[in-house]
Parts: sequence; C-alpha cells; structure tokens
Amino acid sequence: MENKKTFGEKCAAFVRKDGVRSVIASLISILGGIAVGFIVLLLLAAFDSDVTFSQALKGILIVIKGPFSSGSADNMLFQIGNMLFEAAPLVMTGLSVAIAFKTGLFNIGAPGQYLMGAMGALVVALSLPTDTIPSWIVWILALLAGTLLGAVWGAIPGFFKAHFNVNEVIVCIMTNWIAANVVSWVFLDTDFINTPETKINFIKKTSSNGVATAKLGLDKIFEGSYMDISLIIASLVAIALYIMMNKTTFGYELKACGFNRNASKYAGMNEKRNILISMSIAGALAACGAALWVLNGSQDFKWNTYMSLPAEGFNGIPAALLASNNPIGVIFSSLFLKFLNKGGANLSAQTPFNEYVSQLIVAVIIYFSGFSKLFRDMLAKKLKGNEKRDGDSLKAKGGKKE
Amino acid sequence: MNTNTTNASAGKSPYVIEMRGITKIFPGIIANDDITLQLKKGEIHALLGENGAGKSTLMSVLFGLYQPEKGEIYKNGEKVTINDPNDANALGIGMVHQHFKLVDVFTVLDNIILGVEPTKYGFLTKKEAREKVLRLSKTYGLNVDPDALVEDITVGMQQRTEILKMLYRENEILIFDEPTAVLTPQEITELMGIMKGLAKEGKSILFISHKLNEIMEVADRCTVLRKGKYIGTVDIADTDIERLSEMMVGREVHFTVDKDESKPGDVVLEVKDLTVKGHSHKKNAVNGVSLKVRKGEIVCVAGIDGNGQSEFISAITGLTKCEEGSVITLNGEDVTKKSIRYKNTHGMSHIPEDRHKHGLVLDYSLEQNLVLQRYFEKEFSHGGFIRFDKIRDYADVLIAEYDIRSGQGPVTPARSMSGGNQQKAIIARELDRPHDLLIAVQPTRGLDVGAIESIHKQIVSSRDAGAGVLLVSLELDEVMNLSDRILVMYEGEITGEFDPKKTTVQELGLYMAGAKRQNGRGEADGK
Repeated sequence: MENKKTFGEKCAAFVRKDGVRSVIASLISILGGIAVGFIVLLLLAAFDSDVTFSQALKGILIVIKGPFSSGSADNMLFQIGNMLFEAAPLVMTGLSVAIAFKTGLFNIGAPGQYLMGAMGALVVALSLPTDTIPSWIVWILALLAGTLLGAVWGAIPGFFKAHFNVNEVIVCIMTNWIAANVVSWVFLDTDFINTPETKINFIKKTSSNGVATAKLGLDKIFEGSYMDISLIIASLVAIALYIMMNKTTFGYELKACGFNRNASKYAGMNEKRNILISMSIAGALAACGAALWVLNGSQDFKWNTYMSLPAEGFNGIPAALLASNNPIGVIFSSLFLKFLNKGGANLSAQTPFNEYVSQLIVAVIIYFSGFSKLFRDMLAKKLKGNEKRDGDSLKAKGGKKE
Repeated sequence: MNTNTTNASAGKSPYVIEMRGITKIFPGIIANDDITLQLKKGEIHALLGENGAGKSTLMSVLFGLYQPEKGEIYKNGEKVTINDPNDANALGIGMVHQHFKLVDVFTVLDNIILGVEPTKYGFLTKKEAREKVLRLSKTYGLNVDPDALVEDITVGMQQRTEILKMLYRENEILIFDEPTAVLTPQEITELMGIMKGLAKEGKSILFISHKLNEIMEVADRCTVLRKGKYIGTVDIADTDIERLSEMMVGREVHFTVDKDESKPGDVVLEVKDLTVKGHSHKKNAVNGVSLKVRKGEIVCVAGIDGNGQSEFISAITGLTKCEEGSVITLNGEDVTKKSIRYKNTHGMSHIPEDRHKHGLVLDYSLEQNLVLQRYFEKEFSHGGFIRFDKIRDYADVLIAEYDIRSGQGPVTPARSMSGGNQQKAIIARELDRPHDLLIAVQPTRGLDVGAIESIHKQIVSSRDAGAGVLLVSLELDEVMNLSDRILVMYEGEITGEFDPKKTTVQELGLYMAGAKRQNGRGEADGK
C-alpha cells in the first residue's frame, strides 16, 4: 500500500467490501487446509516406507484437481456428473444451516431432518401406485412429503427455543437420534426393504416404482453418472432464499430477530413465531435435500440408521460457514466440497494412500474452512492497522467523521 | 499517610501524570488529536467534553487499553509506556467505571481484595486485608460494611466499595468515570466530600463528567475536549458554567428548557393498579401503580434507578407481562392484552431505556433501523418486498431533519455510530412515527449538553403538537426542567406527586430515598 498509493487504495477499498472480504477469507482458509493436508501427506511419506515424497506431492495435486485427476476423459465426465448430482443435497443442507444462522440459531439438527425427509419421500414414492397416478405427480408429492416432514421435525427445536428458551443445539441433537430411530422403526419389517437376496440393509430404489427425478439428458452429457436436475432445483431454491432474506419484509424480520431478539420484540415483531418459522424452513430445506437424493431413483438408502447419522446433514455446516451463510455462496461451497471429495476418491485409487488418508485430507480442508470467520476478522483487523498507518493522509483529506 | 507508596521521584515534575500530544486515530475518525493533559498531585482535575469528544479514548490510552499513534505519557516526569491495564495498575492508576465491576454475591471485602487476595500457603488470609480496609474507610470517610453482600447495599455504597478497591491497591491516580450518574442528590454531595478528602490526602483525581455544576463544585482545574481536539485547561476559580459549556459545545447553550404552560387535554394513557412481579418473587417490582397522562403534558416518573421504573415501562409497552388486574388504556381503549405491534401502530412511541438492547439492531444499517417498526407498512413495502428506494428517501429526510451524523450516511452500520447519534436515530424514528403517547425512558442518558438541549426541545415540541409524554428520568435536572408534573417512584410505588414549580430537588430527593411519603399515596411512613 505504501509504494503504489492509488492502486493500493483501490485494492484496499475493494477488499474492504464485506462480500469480497468473505470470499478472500474463504480462499485463505482453503489454501491453509490444502497446506496442512500436504503436510499430513509429507509426514506419512516420511514415516511410511511404501510412500515416497514425490507421491505425496502427486497426492495433494490429485486432491486439489478433484474430478479432473480421474485419468480418462470418460471417467472425468462421469465423476463431474456425480459431483454435480451429489452437490444438490449438500446445497440444501448448507442452506438449512445458513438460514438458521441468519436468524441467530445453530441448526445442528440437519442430519435428523435429512433422515425424516428421506423417509417421507421414500414412503410416498414407493407406496403410491404409479399405474393410476402419473409418476411425475408422485415425484412431486414425494418431494413435498419429505420436505413437509422435515419442516415439522425442524419446528420441534424451534418451538422449544421460542417458548421455553431451551438451547436449540441440545434439542437438535436429541431430535437427530430420535429421527434415526424413528426411521429404522418405521421401515423395520416392511415391504419397503429390498428382498433378502439383494441388499437387505437398503430400501428399494424409487425407480422400482417408476419414480425418478427428471434428467433432461444431463445423464447423457455426463455419461454413466447419476446426474439429474436436482442441482438446478437446489440452485433455484438458493436464489429464492437469497431474495427472501435480502429483499422481503419477512427476511428483514428474520435477520433482525437473529441479530437482536430484544430489539425485534421491541419493534413489535413476533420473535417467537420467527424462530419457529426459521427452524421449520431450515428443517424443510435439509429434508428436501434428502428427498432430492433418494428420488434420483438410483440411490440406495440404508434404512437401519439408528447407529449413525448421515454425513450430508453435518456437512451442511462447513458448506454454510465456507459461504459465510450467503445462500448463493452455498451453491459454490457445496460444489467445492464435493469437488474435493472426488479428488479424495482419486487419491486412494491412484496412489498408495488409502481411502482413510484421502478422507482425512478432505476433512482437514473442510476443518480449515470453518476458520473462514477467523480469517475474515483477521483481515478486517489488518485493514484497520493499515488505515491507522495511513492516518496522516486521512487527516489531509479531511476524512474525519463524527 | 498510612500507605507506604514507593514514590521516590516526586518533585522532579509538578505533574504526577502528564499526557503529551496524544493522538489516537480510528478508521475514519481522529478520536484524539494532539491532546495534552497534565494532572497535578493532589488536585481534582475534571475532564469535560461532549459525547464523542474523545474523553473515553484518552482515558483508555492512559489505562493501556489503546496505544496512541503519537504522544507520550509521563509519570512524575519520567516517560512510561502503558501496554495494558496491568501496567496502569502497577503505576498506581485506578479507575471507577461508570458501571461498577463488582461481584454481586460476594461481600464488600471479597470484592475489594479480588485479584490481589492475600494468601499464605495458598489459603486466603483475610484478617490483615480486613484491617487495612477498615483503616482506609476510616481515613477517607468511606462508610461501608465490609461483610455486607454487594447485592444488599445501596448504589452509593457500591461506589464506595469501588473507591476502596482502588485505595486498597494503593493507587495514587484515581479516575472517576461519570460517577454521579447513578446517585441521589444526597449521595452526590457525599461523594463530592469524599473526593475532596481524597485529594487532601494527596491522591490525584481525574473526574470525567459532563455535569457542569458538579465540576464547578469539586474540581480545581478542568480540561475541555471537543471533537477530539484539545480546547484548553482552565482554573475553575476563574471560570463559570456558561464559559465552560461554551468551551465544550463551541456555542452558547441554554440550560433551561423554553416551554409554554402545558394545556392538558384528553387522557391518552391511563394505568390502573399495574403490578409486575419482581425477579426474585419476594416483592413486586411494581406494586399497584395508577396514573394518567393527558395529551399536551409531560408527566415524569422520577426515582433512583432500580425502583421499578424499568419494569413499569416494560409492562406498559408490552415488553414484559403484568399481573392480573392491571389495566392499561390507550386513547380510551383497553390495550392490556394487545401486542406490541398493535400499540406501536395505535399511537404509542417508545424511546427505550437501553438503546443497544432494545432500541437498535446494531448489525443493521442506519436506514434499516429507522424503519424498524414501519418496514411492513405500505409506504415501505409492496407485496411482501421491501421498497429500498423509499426507505432510503425516508432515511435521508430523517437524517437531515434530526441531524444524525454518521460515517456513511444511511448505510452506516448502527454499531459504528457514536452513542449520541444512535440515540438521535431512535428519537428521530419514534418522534416521526404518528403518535399520541410518547414514552421516553432516560432519553438523554450519556449525552452531552448540546444533544440534551435538542432532544429536550424535540420532546417539548412533541407535547405541543398534542402528544402526551411519559418521561422516566434519573436526572433531577431533567426532571425539573422538562416535566409538567412529577411523580416519584420508590420501591415500585408512587410515593408523591409534585408540581415542578413548587418543589425543590432536595424535597424530591427525600421522596426518592424513601424518607418521606405523601399521605394518600399508599401507607404513610411508620416513623
């Protein structure tokens, strides 16, 4: 900034914009994650005689190239198609977490809402007769059923938070495990489960009833992948949420409530209702993500979920954080996370590093992405420091403010 | 003196603390611009300035909370660097903050020794500490029971505890940050006596205030800051209130509010038997209070902080619930059970006590805050979508009309505005909304005389425009100046009603302290 004043000042003004600062902070955290991931690989190379340092370097390049490190062009298109498809549920859970954050709530209940959404969608998609009802109507009904169930599930922590001021994190965690058990219990000994000869732990694919998300030829472009229009749907939802939060009176209320509950109450907003609605929307979003995933038609849903919660729900948290809770940003952060995911898969396929190492590397990068707020604050501080040093020029320009 | 201070180099310089050419810059604002402050040993030195004049910044520099860009600090003629409050403490600088830093459930003694507990083999040895505290309180006339719990003693005693805390740490330079804001007139007189006693014993006192009559009474010299600049240092003996205020504000200030005789009209607010439960359920915070506010009059509820005023207002505005049997009538309509929004849109404006907690969404911009209760109205929204252009136009009008100053105009984050301008924004918003009743709780708290003057004018003009005003204030000057009728609240009950022209501050003080009670206002005093 010292040597080139005009250019430097322009840069500073650009960086000072909140949005730009968020993006830079996210990039820094991603780079930090990659650096630490590389260190992990180097350490492994140092202590494991099977692995060389050049393999470590090759390894980290594979991870950061994502699906582009897949070897052949066909394989690359296949991986990109799957990446785009798998990003859709993550966009939805990311939005779920982001919207709750904007209202001052931490929705760690996305995994439970996700499970309820998957259950609702599956039950409707597999039980409604497609010979009498057109399958696209069944598809819509299934999507709605899943979404609605998630909204109800999300409303539970919202209700306790609004009316009894019970911390939503606690209720969310409890509803997660309740959902895990409810889903297992509902599917236990039902016809929804695959026949014993095939995969006993999984629910039938919805395509067995002729229900599947429209593909619009996308699966042809990305040959062999699961690609369908779900990412387009998720992106439209993200845009709608962006508009809702930033352009409507409802969004104004929700954010006011998130920033300062007392002031929104003083202003006559119904802050209890807002908390409830915000959590319901969050629940609906996470559940809708699950519904999009199972309704693809080719996905296996593991029904005895009582032992574990779906990672997609939790991964919504880094997706939201990496995007600084901006709904549009969530689309890109989710794509990025899935991009890394593919890189991780290629790492274990192409180098001696096993799949656990590749997941570890991806986890490290995701973990660092959680620091984006820290980096954002550090960036803000750094800028302030610069401004202080530029105090004299400020004084000369008469930039004094009340 | 019985404190064994290590004050070896005294005599080198006439000043115990000297701050030379202090410059402190924040983004977009020069908080302190080449400020010099010289504190003599044994003097009471007032630091006077409007809000945002840079008093707090200067004190934060002295206390090590901020590092100045330029300037030096000298103690007894020797240059010192103060990097954090621990350095300040080591140099014998102590501070009584405006909001006390006491642990409510600890005794006075425990609070005093907190952080410097005397121990032997890891166990507390309170006996010596206790003796020292008793000795100090005797020397300086700081009457307080060391074994009482802080939550059980009066605000005045809590303040004395804070002073004892500084003395216990053998601080020689005592900073008092607006110490009189929470005290009754009687307690203020007492504090002034204590401060004079401390100075006589050789302590040097920095007294931050914007109450001119207190400065005139107690201080030896006074340094005035205005908008971050050093205006001058004057001997109190050679000056008067008018000159001080002119130095502070930069223009002449009128201390009395010009207002015509009130012409009370219809009753706009009627409260009957309002009762609010207390936090501890031992006692009601508000106990069966009834009052009427008519259009065109300013009714003021006076009292010491914590006597139920806040709960009373919260119940009227709907922020908290009141007990069964309470009745609140607005413009003749029973609104006891109505929502806050209903009251907001049916003629009630409310300037809240706590502007950060209730008054503003600090993370919203100024313009967003200016429509906090109106964003949904037709004027500002269409089909559920906010009309940002209309909000901008409206904000521009209010900003110009009420002289709200901020760094970036309507898009300034409320958080980055100065306290005075935040308050101006709230007042602009509440007065500009159509209202028949204005509830103002401490509308000028923490503001400087210039801002107070303009806010008082605005409240009076709101009255003259036909609104009823219910004012809650802890400042007796404000109560006497502004109101047409005064009600004193003590322990959740109205204990007296006065005409400001026929009563005195001293008389009000007795009622506020619970020493007197008018007949017919609850039970008569047993004594």
